[in-house]
Amino acid sequence: MDPQLLVWIVARAMGLAAYIALCIAVLSGIALRTAVLDWLAKNRAMRALHDWTTWLWIPLGSLHVLALLLDKTAQIGLADLVLPFRVEYGSLAIGLGTLSLDLLVVITVTSWLRRRMNDELWRWIHRTSYLMFVLLFVHALLSGTDFNAPLISAVSWSAAGGIALLATSRIVLGRLPQ
Amino acid sequence: MSAWGLKLASLLTTVFVLAGSYGYALTHVKNAAAPLQPPVADKPVATAAPAATSTPLPSLVGIRRGNPPRSTAAPAPLLNLTPGVQATALPAITFTHVS
Repeated sequence: MDPQLLVWIVARAMGLAAYIALCIAVLSGIALRTAVLDWLAKNRAMRALHDWTTWLWIPLGSLHVLALLLDKTAQIGLADLVLPFRVEYGSLAIGLGTLSLDLLVVITVTSWLRRRMNDELWRWIHRTSYLMFVLLFVHALLSGTDFNAPLISAVSWSAAGGIALLATSRIVLGRLPQ
Repeated sequence: MSAWGLKLASLLTTVFVLAGSYGYALTHVKNAAAPLQPPVADKPVATAAPAATSTPLPSLVGIRRGNPPRSTAAPAPLLNLTPGVQATALPAITFTHVS
């Protein structure tokens, strides 16, 4: 197989898989505070899942980014991974992906440094996960090559819808009664 | 459900999506309706002469005295159409004699 074709296919597959892994991470994170998934597992198990999903999406997301760096057609450079809206085509769509990646790095690193941080500061930084997911979803919607495929679209919208529902309940109702 | 159960379920879900999306991308390499269409650098149009091709000769076996042509197991010889004119050390032709 042509190496350029391979990196293009890998970039698409890894992008979608990373999106699903991040959906699980966000979903389990919200579930910790809303108790809506208490029927599924106790909070300790949900917390273990939330922490573990990091090791799901980091390799998938990294491979997504690496494949796009190697893809000559995508024309994405190292600076585009940090600085948004620099790519000449699809500036908004790709720039939103860069922004969500930047936020994701900050959220992850601060989570690893949580014990050394002010708890309130960490909490506010961690709340930007909602913003990160919105940016990620719009990035996938605007730039996802396979997003218009019925099955992939159904899976992606369902995952985002579930998160939106839980996030709304979290914001409006706080921790739900058991 | 235990923590291990949740982890296993999330791993299986992710691997399932990864395999499915890889398979989909493999069978749908190009998507004309994709939202992003990166500009492709202009490539010079190839102007080289078409490559010489080898054309199979028609069968040399014909009908003779009412007999059907014999079946040939081996394919007909190939005619090579590559340029065959070669330069020689002879003087250039300046006169052609007509009788």
